[in-house]
Amino acid sequence: MKLTVNGTRHDVDVEPEMPLLWVLRDELGITGPKYGCGIAQCGACTVHVDGQPVRSCQLPVGDLDGEVTTIEALGTPDALHAVQAAWIDHQVAQCGYCQSGQIMTAAAFLEVNATPTDAEIDQALSANLCRCGTYPRIRAAVKSAAARLNEA
Amino acid sequence: MKYLPLAILLLFPLSAAAQDSEGLEAWDRIYQVTAHPRCANCHVGPDNIPVWSGPSLGAPRPHGMNITAGDSRIGAETLPCAACHVSSTQPNDTPHAPPHIDGFWQLAPVEFEWFGKSTKEVCNQLRDPDRNGGRSFVELADHLKHDAFVAWGFNPGGKRQPAPFTLRDHVNDVLAWGVAGQPCPGD
Repeated sequence: MKLTVNGTRHDVDVEPEMPLLWVLRDELGITGPKYGCGIAQCGACTVHVDGQPVRSCQLPVGDLDGEVTTIEALGTPDALHAVQAAWIDHQVAQCGYCQSGQIMTAAAFLEVNATPTDAEIDQALSANLCRCGTYPRIRAAVKSAAARLNEA
Repeated sequence: MKYLPLAILLLFPLSAAAQDSEGLEAWDRIYQVTAHPRCANCHVGPDNIPVWSGPSLGAPRPHGMNITAGDSRIGAETLPCAACHVSSTQPNDTPHAPPHIDGFWQLAPVEFEWFGKSTKEVCNQLRDPDRNGGRSFVELADHLKHDAFVAWGFNPGGKRQPAPFTLRDHVNDVLAWGVAGQPCPGD
């Protein structure tokens, strides 16, 4: 089975019902997307498929239709994505486990809403759980990232 | 052969009174389907918030995780429904996981609001072309036969209670109700 992840074409020998998250982590060694709950209740496994946020634990790889982007390719160490930069500025992460999912969801959200309100941020990101309770910093960082993207 | 009863009904029309009575009986079964949580939970009003209700979920409450489908009814403004309700041909066999269809998950159009509405209200909606997608009763039945959401409602998997009766029964009831002149309670 062929799939494109972070701009690279891969050929994997897996069953079509294997969730994309398993393929990413166990077959391709791409471990930014995290396993949290396995039933789309936490958001830790969020990746983009053609720019849209997707819980990769839910998507059988045989149903994948599009190019996958994970946190590894959202930005680069030399040119962080605005959301990643804002995450550092606000020191959002505590334990960090949920953060790649948070960032991927936030980045996709800012593509459709350049000037979100607190309520809209809460609507877009409440399906990404953070057991450390970093939500106030997440909200602030999303607003900073929006401002940064609007300056660009 | 699936629709033989209807074909017989079309060939040998009943008396007006009998037709009305059978039409209302068919409608009563249709309403049991439209009012069932499996169908009504996503036929919600202009707040665009799907409902969680049903035997395993208790009293109706808004979809968890602060979800709103927005005016787009697909979550385009915040988080797409499809972020979790992916398009997949695989069976829905995991309890508590988001159900999916082989298609794009979304709320029904707002003019198809059914949740919490009476049998009389929903009946009048479904015979009003302005509130049923501009469909005749035959087109309604055809829609039911081909819509992936409807098929899912009768076979939702994941230990979810399916909509009552069968899809075939439901299509036949819509056709029988239509042949009877789409009678509604309170006419």
